[in-house]
Amino acid sequence: MAPAQRTGRVRHRLILLTLIAITLLTVDLRGLEPAQGAQGLVRDLLHPLNSLATTIISPVGDVWNSLFSYDDLEAENAALRQQIDSMTGATIQAEADSSAYVQLLDSLNLPYAGDVEIVTARVERGPVGNFASDVVTINRGQRHGLAEGMAVVTGAGLVGRVERVDGVTSTVQLLSDPDLLVGVRLVSTNDVGIGHAVPGEGGLFIVNQGPNWPKITDTTLLPEIGSAVVTDADSRYTADVPVGRVTEVRPAADELALEVLVELSNDVEDLAFVSVLLSEQSEEPPLVEVVPSTSVPLDLDPGLLDPLRSPSTAEGR
Amino acid sequence: MNPLRLVTLILLAVVVQVTVFADLRIAGVAPELLVLFAVMFGYWYGPRRGPTTAFLVGLVWDVYLPTPLGLSAIVFAMVAFAVAASGAELFRDSRLQLAAIAGVGTIAAVAGYALLGEVMGQRGLVDLEMLRVALIAGLINAAAAPLTRPLIAWTVGPQPGFGGVGRRSMTSSG
Repeated sequence: MAPAQRTGRVRHRLILLTLIAITLLTVDLRGLEPAQGAQGLVRDLLHPLNSLATTIISPVGDVWNSLFSYDDLEAENAALRQQIDSMTGATIQAEADSSAYVQLLDSLNLPYAGDVEIVTARVERGPVGNFASDVVTINRGQRHGLAEGMAVVTGAGLVGRVERVDGVTSTVQLLSDPDLLVGVRLVSTNDVGIGHAVPGEGGLFIVNQGPNWPKITDTTLLPEIGSAVVTDADSRYTADVPVGRVTEVRPAADELALEVLVELSNDVEDLAFVSVLLSEQSEEPPLVEVVPSTSVPLDLDPGLLDPLRSPSTAEGR
Repeated sequence: MNPLRLVTLILLAVVVQVTVFADLRIAGVAPELLVLFAVMFGYWYGPRRGPTTAFLVGLVWDVYLPTPLGLSAIVFAMVAFAVAASGAELFRDSRLQLAAIAGVGTIAAVAGYALLGEVMGQRGLVDLEMLRVALIAGLINAAAAPLTRPLIAWTVGPQPGFGGVGRRSMTSSG
């Protein structure tokens, strides 16, 4: 075959591959069911192999991590020891609080989270590749009743949400992902806001917007430092799942709105087992307050723009 | 080329990438084994078969990634084509040459994936961390490149003198 002819064929093949890729990208971005199903099928087919490989490699991974992350482990040990010391004293207080809480629930006859069916899952592996650091794969899937959007928790609180469900495994988007928005309630003030993880700050969560979100000038509405933050009843997760505790309250960049920094109650970096709450979840993210347009309709009565002539004052005159 | 062996190699590489390299990281960076194979397929298979094979590798990898299906596939195919085309006039295949091609190819693939991902609407892929990841992954793959040669030779089967790119051949190089 002549070189020119061969080069032409190679180019044609490359163009064909590009067109196939564009088609696949379009189909996948539109979320078409067959494309998602086919990907899930491949993952399910390879699951036994992956599972076997994970079992075999797990001890090697532990040795590797103990060799190359020894300093981190030592620091973690020291932090854990300190935590145990502080918890010894806190346990007594917690028991008293817990007793009071149960009494409160009884008296208010609130539906408790115990009504929600849960599925416990093992974390099979952390993120694959180098560009998806805030996901884990768990060993429960569609066959076990999981669906996209369900809340994933541990005893300490919210961990994340089920992002992708296959037959026998699921991918969980962790709370440490700044793109994961969570509707939360500040227990001390009952304010409802929307928060997300702070990029690059492991374990820190920021709440800075929401309907009727207080201004920094409203000193009476500032949440107490150390007070609890839980999921809101109107969020897409089960209500009152612990998220963390308030560590700092500060003005936002515009010096007007309030920013509440929250220390997450869960260490999502080191998960072994999690529970999935099998409750119906809304696929839509929590609603953000609708900001009215600042443009003025052409047919608007100019008098309405005058604050002194608002309907209430006009009536009074 | 033996298709069955090729598919076996690709699937095994995916399993190793998904399981082994989810845990074993060097300086926090997971070795990009599939990128390495894509680059090496371009190098050994040449411009006719290399990009197609690299495309398949990328496609299987895409199944596990949160980015849209086809993103890795097209990046791998382009990098494999570039490697095959630029390597067409190479006469000698020293290990150093192989390592350099694997390293540069890996950096290009990782950077290309991040850039194209951003264009496709994925957030947070292009930053300084991406450069660090690309460099470390490039170094790892440069060191590991010679190890892939017998595996790729196995997928070719008993065909003496096979060398998709010009004057290269699996039997004479090394």
